[in-house]
Amino acid sequence: MRSSEYVVRRIAFAIATIFVAATLNFVIFRAAPGDATTALRCLSCTTEVRAQVRQELGLDKSKFQQYLIYLKDLAHGDFGRSFQNRQPVLPQLWQPLKNTLPMLMLGTLFSIFFGLITGIVAAWRRGTLVEKGSVWIGLAFFSLPTQWLGIMFILYLAGPLGLPTNGISDPYLAYSHPGLWAELTDRLSHMVLPSLTLGLVLYGEYTLITRSALLETFGEDYVLTARAKGLTTWQIVRRHALRNSLLPITTLIFLSLGFVAAGSILIEAVFNYPGIGLLAYQSVFQKDYPMLQGAFLVITSSIVIANLIADLLYVRLDPRIVE
Amino acid sequence: MSGAPVLEVQDLHVWFDLGQGRELHPVQGAGITLDRGERMGLVGESGCGKTTVSLALMGLLPPNASVAGRVLLDGEDILAGGEETLRPHRWNDIAMVFQGAMNAFNPVKRIGDQICEAMELHAVARGRAAETRCGELLELVGIRAERARRFPHEFSGGMRQRAAIAMALACNPRVLLADEPTTALDVMVQAQILQLLQQISDDLGLAIVLITHDLPIVAQTCQTASVMYAGRIVEVGPTVALHDAPRHPYTRMLFAATPDLAGTAGVVSIPGAPPRLDRELAGCPFAPRCDSTFATCTERLPRLLPVGDDHLAACHLAAGHLAGRPA
Amino acid sequence: MSANRVRDNAVFAALRGSPQAVFGGTVLAIVVLIAVLASWIAPYGEHQRVGEVFAHPSTSHWLGLDDGGFDMLTLMMYGARVSLIVGFAAALVAMVIGGAVGIVAGFFGGKIDTLLMRLTDYFLAIPDVPLMIVVAAIWGRSLRNIILIIGAIYWTSTARVVRAQVKSVRERGYIRRTRVIGASNTRLIMRHVLPQVAPLLVATGVLMVAYAIFAETAIAFLGLGDPSAVSWGLLIENAFSRDAVTVGAWWAIVPPGIAVAIVVVSLTMLGTAIEDALNPRLRVSHVSVRRFRLRPIPPPREDA
Repeated sequence: MRSSEYVVRRIAFAIATIFVAATLNFVIFRAAPGDATTALRCLSCTTEVRAQVRQELGLDKSKFQQYLIYLKDLAHGDFGRSFQNRQPVLPQLWQPLKNTLPMLMLGTLFSIFFGLITGIVAAWRRGTLVEKGSVWIGLAFFSLPTQWLGIMFILYLAGPLGLPTNGISDPYLAYSHPGLWAELTDRLSHMVLPSLTLGLVLYGEYTLITRSALLETFGEDYVLTARAKGLTTWQIVRRHALRNSLLPITTLIFLSLGFVAAGSILIEAVFNYPGIGLLAYQSVFQKDYPMLQGAFLVITSSIVIANLIADLLYVRLDPRIVE
Repeated sequence: MSGAPVLEVQDLHVWFDLGQGRELHPVQGAGITLDRGERMGLVGESGCGKTTVSLALMGLLPPNASVAGRVLLDGEDILAGGEETLRPHRWNDIAMVFQGAMNAFNPVKRIGDQICEAMELHAVARGRAAETRCGELLELVGIRAERARRFPHEFSGGMRQRAAIAMALACNPRVLLADEPTTALDVMVQAQILQLLQQISDDLGLAIVLITHDLPIVAQTCQTASVMYAGRIVEVGPTVALHDAPRHPYTRMLFAATPDLAGTAGVVSIPGAPPRLDRELAGCPFAPRCDSTFATCTERLPRLLPVGDDHLAACHLAAGHLAGRPA
Repeated sequence: MSANRVRDNAVFAALRGSPQAVFGGTVLAIVVLIAVLASWIAPYGEHQRVGEVFAHPSTSHWLGLDDGGFDMLTLMMYGARVSLIVGFAAALVAMVIGGAVGIVAGFFGGKIDTLLMRLTDYFLAIPDVPLMIVVAAIWGRSLRNIILIIGAIYWTSTARVVRAQVKSVRERGYIRRTRVIGASNTRLIMRHVLPQVAPLLVATGVLMVAYAIFAETAIAFLGLGDPSAVSWGLLIENAFSRDAVTVGAWWAIVPPGIAVAIVVVSLTMLGTAIEDALNPRLRVSHVSVRRFRLRPIPPPREDA
């Protein structure tokens, strides 16, 4: 199929998905038992106040009308107001998002790098103990609950390595008028353990993905031809199998980003790291539904966009899908 | 075609270990003699072991395989040390064009790069020199040199086949093993490929083993033919002799089973199925399907014996005729 | 013997020979056994306060006590019950929904198929745990809800796999012939399509249980679990929020995590082994560390 047509269709799908997510947001919230006023813990509200709040929130109109208003507001960037601090939701989402991204990227880079290496070695040395060991280790890391791994690091790694386990920066650092370097190292040191947690969980999955993708190529005819030409196992892996696996590996890595979304919520909860995940977590606790919905929409949109980038990248990388 | 044979295979056996104590014996004492510039057809039904023979010669058998025999390349036994002695000759001296060469190329790398890779690996040429030679090879097989920059999916099936042949010639081998080089190609392209093989064999003095189940192309292209059945060579000799005066019933039935374009003879198929290769059988393996059996056929295994000029057959009937009486 | 029976026998034979399946299956069986027999083999009562908060492990309490003074070993055994129940029930929900969607989409094709697959794609694209959190936050924290939520979000991959299988089955001759005879769609589905698809559903289901248990720990950790149903996930949450970390009470946190990992690993191994047994992909590999072997030429046969 022509690549430009594919690109258009793919982008349309991404937009549609975000739209579906937004609709789900609406449906879930509005279909909840009771309505927003009961959720507001408005125990001592009088009937008049309740009526006023209902009108304010637009709950007196029909469901469909509410839906349309909701969509219109979203399009204008109005995500509603937080129940907690009565401020608009959207502006409060940016800083947490900016906090989360570097931590996620660090962790993902770590996991991709080491996962790729271990996966390649496992496939190269298939049938040996090295391979079996890699598979087991990968499986183990993949199966440990993310939050549990983070807690283990707090218990056993933070002390010996002198790493902080809470927040994004040292609250007392500002008093000593630190330079840029000190601030940077402070930030980084707070990122290490959360990133490491994320990295290790993803590492398990990426090792298995890489090994699997490489093994798939080992049965192909061109690998037999390569062996016939005289290439050694390592040369085959490096020059042929790897290049062909890069495509499925890339796609699979991006597909696992959904897991990253889940992981980031758990990890930030464990390390009290002020990112978008922690925001989602806290808004659950505080029953701050507009904030929760906002965070959910932002997280979902990020994943959808990342998947879109992955698919478009795939089109670029595969010479077979060419106009 | 004079002097010592460039390739001589003696007593080649291949076993596959299937686990749980079971073993397959797909090649049972096969032999091949090939002179410089000679084209030999290796024919037989699917599963008779002909591809396994070629893989054994290249040393490309899987790890559960065991091999026995002698493979003499210009007199030197290259199988004696297993992988160690085979590897230096792989592609350098013996090259192969695989079945379904459409897929022999890595789809995400350019054709030229893959051909040059063979050259660089065996220090035949590097960089610029390799690219030039790659262009020459492509021209030799009838592809324009600038097509080297293309990807495999941009080539038609026939072109990919020719490119595969070019790649096989990259290191100036002495022997070329061509496994079903024309299957899945249309008739016109088939003819072109066969003509190409003939041409390079004559021009470069390249010995070719043409592995196929398709008799007519052997008749067209090869001077000699070897017929394989159940892992053994049952008849070998000049193609003309095998066609005009086949001495083994299987060869005769194979030729008869080939539809004749003129439609004069009825199409005869060979009833039954090839024997299992996981257990020893008594007597001649073809006996159950043969139309000319007698007592000895089920008791004793026939040996490959001369039945004419450079013509051997493994059949009690043929041997009996030679001696003037049934064995 | 019908073709299905032949296939089932072959699958069981393959599984018995696969070390992953045996290991996974055995471990799983042990855990299930512990969960079932918890009331009888647990050393103490589930709600029985036996000592100090976060007491160290001792000879009478192998895994120490938790944040309420309850015996950890006992809680672990009862926790197995809840975690496994949630896992299996949620997987069942996912299999039923996913299987139904997959069969309908694959069997009827056309517009229904496109519509259902579009829906599936959207669900696949939306990250699962955040969606679960939103739903759980709003709809309440009962065990039943948790099970339904997990199941309702994980049906998508099952649907896809089943649909592919149903499509290939539908093209088989005997379906067409049976249809010509006049069999109704329902009959065709129930008697012919379902038996073909069932094994694949089982394999996917096993993997689904692993996901479900994992998801349950995440939901529980974020405070959305059922507080009356002590699962392994809830044990981790309790310990963490009651400062087990500060006190250094590793025994309250380490065992549940390891237990989850063990169960998930076993399920994954078992599930992949079943999948492999169903689709014995001839994993041909032209790359190997080991090479072919040489043998001496056998002597000529005596009967030659």
